[in-house]
Amino acid sequence: MNRLFALLILLFAVFPLSSFAEQIDTTFNLNDVVVTATRTPKLLKDVPIQTRLITAKDIERTDATHIQDLLQQELPGIEFSYAMNQQIHLNFNGFGGQSVLFLVDGERLAGETLDDVDFTRLNMADVGRIEIVKGAASALYGSNAAAGVINIITQEGGSPWMLNVGARLARHNEQRYGGSFSLNRKRVSNTLNVNYTGIDNFNVTSGPQPETRVFSTVYGDKTFHFKDKFTVRPMDGMKLTLRAGYFYRTLSRNPDTPERYRDFTARLRGIWDISAADNIEVSYSFDQYDKSDYQKIAGLDIRDYSNVQNAVRAIYSHHFSNTGVLTAGSDFMHDYLFNPRLDGKSRKQDNVDAFAQMDWNISPQWELVGALRYDYFSDSHDSHLTPKLTACYRFPQNHKTAEPQNLTLRFGYGMGFRAPTLKERYYNFDMAGIWTVLGNDQLQSEVSHNLNVSLEWTRSRYNFTAALYYNHVRNKIATGIPFYKPDHTKQLYLSYTNLDCYRVCGAEATIQAHWAGGFSGRLCYAYTQEQLPKDHDGSTQYIPARPHSLTARLDWDKDFTKNYRLNVGISGRFLSAVEGKEYVDYYDISRGTTAIHYPAYTLWKLSTMQTVGRRFRLTVAVDNLFNYRPKYYYFNAPVTDGINLQVGVSVTLQ
Amino acid sequence: MAKNLCNPWKYTGCVVVFVLLTACEGLFDGIYDQPPAAPAPAPTPTEVQTDSDSISKVTIQGKLYIDASSWKDWYYVDLQAMAQATAAGRDIDSTVTAYPIPTTLTREDDGRTGIYTYWFDVWVHGLSVNEYRSFKPTDPQPEPPNWTFAVHRNNVRTHGGAAYETTATSMEDVQFDRDHATFVSDRWTETEVWADQSQMIMNLIGSQGIEVNPVLSSWLRVDIPPMPPAFILNNHVFILRLADGTYAALQLENYQSATGTKCHLTIHYKYPL
Repeated sequence: MNRLFALLILLFAVFPLSSFAEQIDTTFNLNDVVVTATRTPKLLKDVPIQTRLITAKDIERTDATHIQDLLQQELPGIEFSYAMNQQIHLNFNGFGGQSVLFLVDGERLAGETLDDVDFTRLNMADVGRIEIVKGAASALYGSNAAAGVINIITQEGGSPWMLNVGARLARHNEQRYGGSFSLNRKRVSNTLNVNYTGIDNFNVTSGPQPETRVFSTVYGDKTFHFKDKFTVRPMDGMKLTLRAGYFYRTLSRNPDTPERYRDFTARLRGIWDISAADNIEVSYSFDQYDKSDYQKIAGLDIRDYSNVQNAVRAIYSHHFSNTGVLTAGSDFMHDYLFNPRLDGKSRKQDNVDAFAQMDWNISPQWELVGALRYDYFSDSHDSHLTPKLTACYRFPQNHKTAEPQNLTLRFGYGMGFRAPTLKERYYNFDMAGIWTVLGNDQLQSEVSHNLNVSLEWTRSRYNFTAALYYNHVRNKIATGIPFYKPDHTKQLYLSYTNLDCYRVCGAEATIQAHWAGGFSGRLCYAYTQEQLPKDHDGSTQYIPARPHSLTARLDWDKDFTKNYRLNVGISGRFLSAVEGKEYVDYYDISRGTTAIHYPAYTLWKLSTMQTVGRRFRLTVAVDNLFNYRPKYYYFNAPVTDGINLQVGVSVTLQ
Repeated sequence: MAKNLCNPWKYTGCVVVFVLLTACEGLFDGIYDQPPAAPAPAPTPTEVQTDSDSISKVTIQGKLYIDASSWKDWYYVDLQAMAQATAAGRDIDSTVTAYPIPTTLTREDDGRTGIYTYWFDVWVHGLSVNEYRSFKPTDPQPEPPNWTFAVHRNNVRTHGGAAYETTATSMEDVQFDRDHATFVSDRWTETEVWADQSQMIMNLIGSQGIEVNPVLSSWLRVDIPPMPPAFILNNHVFILRLADGTYAALQLENYQSATGTKCHLTIHYKYPL
């Protein structure tokens, strides 16, 4: 398998450089508009803060169902693993899920389980593109954006009407069915998207004497997504979008008590180009995420969690002629949490903020972006002032050839913060007698300082990016060391606390290429170095980030006739081994810790996509091509029990 | 057309204000059930048959609601007392009685009674793979003078009785051959009656050494792995032969409370048969 990586590296090295300048912008999507980095639309090639764009075409090729399927194939340095109770946990370059802000069309997601949003909510069926901005972005997005922002942007209808239906089948009775219908008129458009996914539970077997906890059953689930997006343009320069969504997921850890997850979203957004230079956006969004247990025997569906977020936002942008863009805005969010395990069962708080950003084009080469944001949280009476400053230098065109160098250097500083959640402040949960998890209303916000520098170079058929980053994190919020209360020596407690300072630094490099004959490829490498807090040793909650990771993809596209197109792709990922630590004896931590070895692994996928007459598409993929089976199903082992054939069809009428 | 379509702004504003005022704590409460009030542990049984010659021939039928989720207590039920109380029209509230599992030794050690700590292969092979680690002698399990059966989480004991599992899933359908049915008596265990969870994260569990009835205890199976455990209900009707030779029918209808607490038992009973 490592030979495949070697082959890919060789391909990148030996394919000839040739004149390709006229196609550079479109080949690497550099003319695509992105909005996340500065909260204003910019071309990817002009954005002053490095942004990774995953296009609809990328999503189509990966054939991903949920966001974790996609991100694991596309990005190195990202790992989805299991937390307790087999909830999906994200490690994003050394940061946990609570430090990565997931947005859908710019809006936050309600609900969490063990610090992560419900990733199964993020179905890829209606996604137009995904923008990933790494590094602290709290100056624009507030809490939870310490490690970066992943903004999922839904599709906009294009053709007058379009109907698409599709299905995919795979191992373990994995099923995916979906359909969408969009209608576009001059001033009105509507897109309806309905999807169903399902996969059975299946068992996996580990070898003898694992070093730590393993899982033995992979819990499948069934999900149902309904989304509708209605857009009206009452006059030129004004757009009003109404979005409504319903999500339902059920899984059976316990046959008599299937768990149910529901989400209700609604959003109303108005964008008005007041003049050629001024733009205002006003939005209201509602997101309610519920969990319940359906007791089959008693026929009762009892809700045991509800997080409701109501948010109102206004953003104003003014474009100064050739010199830059001023963006200012404010959000108000009411956050309500119901959980019988909370002290008081329900809690609520308001978050108010105001922010401003100046994107200043100092010269054709230099661009400077400065942002400042103030946040206030009513429950903790906590307030934050969060700055960010980024500089971008575009190398001038070559004097001899008069051609652009397409070489951009970006560097900056950003502050990130994460306010303690209502759960972290008020939780009180006896976890089956193992220990009681306690909230802490004295928690301070986690604050991080991020320094980053990146270089992007596009030449001929190649696009190369490299980045270095350093994060210094204070007051990381996590559960601390297990302890006994003086008056209660039989019961172990685990309390949320602010940990000691820690550091995460790393590097990333990506090379993309498009060669003659329809070949294209991408190779990405990430290095992550964590220096964990000294008081975090041996925590049961944290599996460290893997130091080295690599993703690769090679595609061949061929139009055999006007009506027949073939794509053959092979993609893979490699994650290095990592050492974790656990207490030898959780009831006597003075006995110290022991090292846990989590082995490296690599997984590959071979896929073919045949398109007939632009209407019919057949996708056949072999996932886990080399039939890899972990010896031990540790919580960060890949969730696979061998080779998996996936067959999908899609029919589009328009 | 553009002018007409501008009006939605006004309506939109009204909708936003309305939704903001109503949706702060969420919508769609109606799609969920509210946990019903907890029933009395032993509601008055139904008298289904009376022989006027003797109150001992009264047949009672009903449900017991026992929160047996505690690791620390056995809950004792006296069906004979219930039948007699029903016949006599007396209150039966005290029929379910809790007795704690002893954790200390205050009398002479018999070398057998106590808490046995075993390591269980929780993550890979399951509970059947275990290793003895330690023994702490304790007093014997206290119990009331008269009782029929006792429950502790998923464990069931009988008072000198024996049990047989039928294939019926309804009290009305239950049939068994008294002469040929194979009744199973209680047998000793030191790994099943989990009483001490203080070392659980190290996969060490302390169990009471005591006799339990394996047939009746099979009405609720706890599978590990997975973690957290899977609870499997066996809804067959079980026949309990009491020490005095009378028979009772027992069926575990549910093992969860309305709020989801596991081992909160709803037991359907009929006695005597």
